[in-house]
Amino acid sequence: MVKMDLNLIIGGPQGGGIETAGLLAVRALAMDGLEVFADREYHSNIKGKHSYSHIRASDKRVRSIKYPVDFVAALDVESIATHYKDLKPGGVLIHDSALLDKSLLKLPPMEKERVERLKAELDANGAGATVKELDEWLQRNGKVVLQYPFSKTIVEKVKLASPSIERAMNTALTTVLLRAAGMTLTKILEAVDSLFIEKAEARELNRAVAGAISDGFDELSGTKKLGTKILGQERPPRGKRMLVAGNDAVAIGKLIGGLRLQTYYPITPAADESFVIEQHAKLLDSEGRAVGSPIVIQAEDEISAICMAIGGALTGVRSATCTSGPGFSLMAEGIGWAGMNEVPVVVTCYQRGGPSTGLPTRHSQSDLLFTINSGHGEFSRIVLASGSHEEALDDAVKCMNLAERYQVPVIHLLDKGIANCVTTVDPPVFGAVERGKRVEKGTGEYLRFAIGDDPVSPRAYLGEELMWYTGDEHDERGHITEDPDTRRRMYEKRMAKREKILKEAPDGDKAVLYGDEGFEDLLVTWGVSTGAAIDALPELRSHGSRVAVLQVRMVEPFPADYISKFILEANNVIGLEANYVGQLAELIGCNTGFRIKSRILKYTGRLITQDEVVDAYMRIKGGEERVVLTGGE
Amino acid sequence: MSTDWNSGVWPDWCPGCGNFGIFTALKGALSELGIMRERIVLVSGIGCSGKIPHFVKVPGVHTLHGRAIPFATGIKASNPELKVIVHGGDGDLLGIGMGHLIAMGRRNPDILVVIHNNGVYGLTKGQASPTLQLGRKTKSLALPNINSAVNPILLGIASGYTFLARSYAYDIEHLKACLKQGISHSGAGILEVIQPCPTWNNLVTMDWVEKNTYRLKDWDPVVKDDEDAVKKAQGIIGLESGERKALGTILVDRRKETFGKRIASIYKNYSTEPPAAQRVEVEGKALPIDLEKTFPRFFIQ
Ligand SMILES: Cc1ncc(C[n+]2csc(CCOP(=O)(O)OP(=O)(O)O)c2C)c(N)n1
Ligand code: SF4
Repeated sequence: MVKMDLNLIIGGPQGGGIETAGLLAVRALAMDGLEVFADREYHSNIKGKHSYSHIRASDKRVRSIKYPVDFVAALDVESIATHYKDLKPGGVLIHDSALLDKSLLKLPPMEKERVERLKAELDANGAGATVKELDEWLQRNGKVVLQYPFSKTIVEKVKLASPSIERAMNTALTTVLLRAAGMTLTKILEAVDSLFIEKAEARELNRAVAGAISDGFDELSGTKKLGTKILGQERPPRGKRMLVAGNDAVAIGKLIGGLRLQTYYPITPAADESFVIEQHAKLLDSEGRAVGSPIVIQAEDEISAICMAIGGALTGVRSATCTSGPGFSLMAEGIGWAGMNEVPVVVTCYQRGGPSTGLPTRHSQSDLLFTINSGHGEFSRIVLASGSHEEALDDAVKCMNLAERYQVPVIHLLDKGIANCVTTVDPPVFGAVERGKRVEKGTGEYLRFAIGDDPVSPRAYLGEELMWYTGDEHDERGHITEDPDTRRRMYEKRMAKREKILKEAPDGDKAVLYGDEGFEDLLVTWGVSTGAAIDALPELRSHGSRVAVLQVRMVEPFPADYISKFILEANNVIGLEANYVGQLAELIGCNTGFRIKSRILKYTGRLITQDEVVDAYMRIKGGEERVVLTGGE
Repeated sequence: MSTDWNSGVWPDWCPGCGNFGIFTALKGALSELGIMRERIVLVSGIGCSGKIPHFVKVPGVHTLHGRAIPFATGIKASNPELKVIVHGGDGDLLGIGMGHLIAMGRRNPDILVVIHNNGVYGLTKGQASPTLQLGRKTKSLALPNINSAVNPILLGIASGYTFLARSYAYDIEHLKACLKQGISHSGAGILEVIQPCPTWNNLVTMDWVEKNTYRLKDWDPVVKDDEDAVKKAQGIIGLESGERKALGTILVDRRKETFGKRIASIYKNYSTEPPAAQRVEVEGKALPIDLEKTFPRFFIQ
């Protein structure tokens, strides 16, 4: 079997169909039997600014992206200017030949600082300032350039006129990209059909475009210089797979987990989750009968979203909301109310770059300490941090169960990396749905907050029994009290859940060790950064390092004892995460007393890549204590 | 009226507080309406007024300052069989919670909002509330109020409420009738209750109420058609700009679809199986959802 690891970048202006181009390429690669992982980078802008997909495909599982790349397919000049230096030796640049005379330095969407940086860079390289000059420079430096008359071909062969051409350019570009990587037109067309399964008109247009563009591919100047074909090999058949973004994965997980009320207020990168739920509001069984139909309510703000979800939960409905940092801030008071009233409610929080609206469309892992501490006072809650799409899906189901089992708010902590990256996952295996402790009928006066041996009291839903709730301290019936003894006992009942949760959680939900036992170095990480660390392991080991990766999954209550075991076993512990402080490392310090000195951090809003993990690890081994990563545009 | 509507918790309001009148009228209205106790939910915000659910023997949800409406909306949308009534102060519902009040009018859920209007923030010691007139200085204020007052009835029309009424906390019979009407109305309702707060508000006294309010007599609140709706709105602006406050039912519009109906028009199963009536498991296992049928576009090959 051919070992392969293909990295592609498809770039263009936001709103120029780059998202579709990326999805088409990812789908084609996945349908070719490959494992894929694709990052999507975009500005907080609707039209015009630079956006791109970085797609990785391999015949083994991949969970991160990697530089340098094999192909850069550019829809516009900015994409060429931004990504030409990402190409590896022998790498291929693809663009429309109509761009040749364009200047690299007169690009209005680019920030002034970036233009200046680019100018200095081009000057230093001696690369020239037009696309044509840059192409020549690339070719002198061992790269392949495919200039293709996309727009001309579309006009002549598909008989499209502007502005429809623009709608077709993305497919044209993707077709050349995939053909250049060795894929046959037949396979590309299968992917087109599959992507546009519900849109006949778009399907026909895109088929025509792919066909016309592919026809001329072999005559293209530069095609002969392409190396061995990497795609289109015979691959062992794979079982059924799904292609999902993190938002999709969580939506699917929530629905499998019994979600019946989702509330939200629009925010990137969370809103797509609610959209997916809304689109699949009818859950069908194999006979096509509806077995459930959850409702989605767009609230007037995040405060309302969390309060509505809590209201739903009080009636016994599995309820959830989703948001990102700014919205989560607004939810803090509601989460506290849910904690005080022992309400099972799930909040999915997708971190993005803060503070404030920060980098609204970019990645970050800087809300860990905020989510575990959100809300005033003290109360039990669960915060689970997923590190991959599979986990995001499984954890979404798990969060629903944990919320009802312990009657606490559960925060499902994700990041933009997971929300917007697309990858293949195996269809989930359906597990248990635990509704938690329910009150038995006929046991006399119902006490919602009965204090017994178990900190979890039997639940009745609104509509079934007399019961009271209040954000104030309350007695067993739910009525306000300031009695010190009742206060102490209720406080202890609520807090005792933390111990119970920790005691009952399976080890695998707390943390996962990847790599050899008997490690010397331990990379401690969480969230989507885990993928880059795991992907980097084989290379690190090939350098002779005895290193393992510890992914922390449950961050509240913190499994200090379990984590300590691994940490004490290692000679060197290195934190790896996408924030400035090293929040997980700090949390470990607080809970275990073990100070993690070496930290690899990134806060540019871009994903930590596999190659960066390798470099940074080497630098740490070379004596650096704090390595700050800066890769990616 | 049966004392059985008392929860047994001691109402800890100041002597003479208007909340007692609202409490009494509410118990009377609930008992006369004959709704099954467990099917009622009183949802309140934070303030002196917000404590009312604890004193009534029906399920009560005492929520956050200003947030009773979203809690109530979530409860009602999940289980439409429940009779949901919101109670809050004028600070709670018209200050911090104003956005939700407007949003509720836009949705028109089957919920009555009872605004305990005492012109002050009672529980935090008498600061000016959004209904206090510009330039007024209650005894609890150090300086005169520098904000103009908002009129909840006019706000209610602008926001799409389909039931609007005003009553007085110590006119128990009148208030009870308004409550009964508002609770039975299907759609979003606001019932503004003029509520004396003898502790902080020396301006709105019983005497003031005598002089400054009047009972609506020849006013037909029921909206007949679109044209009538416009006429009524104009009439209400007239009523509300007068010196004296009108007491009684001001608007009843039964033509607008409720939130429940709107949901049901999109989610076809909603009317027979709202969220609270749906199963989510079979014998402890996830429902047999066919993923390929439900989520076709996520599958490849
Ligand atoms: C978010 C938040 N801000 C402030 C408060 C403090 N607070 C408690 S009661 C209250 C005012 C209540 O006034 P009103 O709503 O008019 O009710 P009343 O006490 O007059 O019945 C305030 C501001 C709070 N509980 N929560
Ligand atoms: S402060 Fe005013 S509103 Fe509050 S209980 Fe006393 S009298 Fe009633």
